[in-house]
Amino acid sequence: MNGGTEYFPASRPWTEEGGAVRLHGSKCAHCGVAAFPPHPSCPACGAEGSQDTVQLSPVGTLYTFSEIHIAPKGFVTPYAVGYVDLPEGVRLFGQIETPAADLRLGQQVAVTLGPVRADASGRMVISYKFKGLP
Amino acid sequence: MTLAAIAGVGMTKFGKQTGRTIEDIGREALVRAMKDAGVARDGIDEVFCGSSYGGPLIGQRILRDLGMTGIPITNVENACSSGAAALREACWAVKAGRADAIAVLGVEKLTRLGGGTLPLEPTDVEVNLGNVMPAVYAMRARRYMHETGATARHLAMIAVKAHEYGARNPNAQFQNRITVDDVMRARMVADPLTLYMCCPTGDGAAAVIVTSEKRARELGAKPVRVEASVLQSGLYKTGFRDMASSELTERTSALAYEAAGIGPRDVSVAEVHDAFASAELMYYEALGLCRKGEGAAMIERGDSGPGGRQPVNPSGGLACRGHPVGATGVAQIVEAVWQLRGEAGERQVPGAKVALTHCTGGGISGLDHGACAVHVLTS
Repeated sequence: MNGGTEYFPASRPWTEEGGAVRLHGSKCAHCGVAAFPPHPSCPACGAEGSQDTVQLSPVGTLYTFSEIHIAPKGFVTPYAVGYVDLPEGVRLFGQIETPAADLRLGQQVAVTLGPVRADASGRMVISYKFKGLP
Repeated sequence: MTLAAIAGVGMTKFGKQTGRTIEDIGREALVRAMKDAGVARDGIDEVFCGSSYGGPLIGQRILRDLGMTGIPITNVENACSSGAAALREACWAVKAGRADAIAVLGVEKLTRLGGGTLPLEPTDVEVNLGNVMPAVYAMRARRYMHETGATARHLAMIAVKAHEYGARNPNAQFQNRITVDDVMRARMVADPLTLYMCCPTGDGAAAVIVTSEKRARELGAKPVRVEASVLQSGLYKTGFRDMASSELTERTSALAYEAAGIGPRDVSVAEVHDAFASAELMYYEALGLCRKGEGAAMIERGDSGPGGRQPVNPSGGLACRGHPVGATGVAQIVEAVWQLRGEAGERQVPGAKVALTHCTGGGISGLDHGACAVHVLTS
């Protein structure tokens, strides 16, 4: 372990304001479809070079989740994961800091930042995650 | 519309074969299929070889030691659908008149990769954040259960049925019977999926000889006809999509039914992609074998089990026959042909006339699945 950190994605497409984490997505100026991570062209209508950067909402709805007990090297099991729907029409996959036993479908979750795994050299990888809101 | 005939089939036993090379495993299946068809080395015009983790030139590596190189060999990678996608290429090549007899191979040696979940593409966003194949299915399972009222016991019933059939298949990786309690008490892999609800890691190969109907008659085989061979890929969505159903399987099977001129009720036996028990329930619905939301009722009634209305996965499926990824789509065809010829032994579906095979999968962010192939075969 060498104690350093890295980020995923490396471009760190997010900002933190007063404890709220807002991810930076892309939104097509032509058809309005949003995406995260930001796309260079629109996967919905195919428009190129018309992607605006948008700050996505810091809170979303938990569509579904699981708790993983067998995982590749670098991940500490068990860990909860899920799909979170943001109001902009984007569905994100991510780890959830809240124990799976305390999660339920349809609940509100907040975007946060934290370690998701260790890389091959033992450095922690920081990325966006979620935590359940009461 | 008849595309081609299957003149011969063969497979290895599926399971951990750590003492053999992947080439050796592939050759065994190919030689069995050629003997079954009664076709000699010089009777094969082309080869399509499906494998996901077999590495470069897997087909050539298998054929080299049989002295069969020189002819066109095409290697096909499409994750779990690799073998089924290879078969589709062969069927349409025969239909186009380009070849009279094509050997299709599906081969994989997953024990080369070490244990655990399948390695996925490291550039994928979700893979970087810790998604694994069991979790992909587990999250869909939870949503499906939430929307339909199906329970973990229904998933366990699928696993029990798979083992009942596996016990009747001498080529299956697992040939032991288990109970619902065994499944429920087993180690958790990705909640709600326990170990017995997940397909195993294993090695194996399957091969079929695809010919024109004329060549099949000349070979004197009891030919089986391929009436539909359809491949589709998942749609990319950055937004919301219904994960409690499979749009990709619905779309692919609808095209296959149309091409074959049949409906779901005409299917006597189906081999479906039960990589995880929850998927089999969802695919009953997506393939139209039951109505939406009634997958749990179908397994409760025993419709898909021995003696049922429409037996599903009499081979034991991916759960028990095993799932050497690229081999699976071809192994499903081998089982379908045995069923249609009445050669399936203890697991024979009486009077099977129409068989459907369904092979899908591939973990990739934003898609239902990477690929889906559906074949319809008739006797």
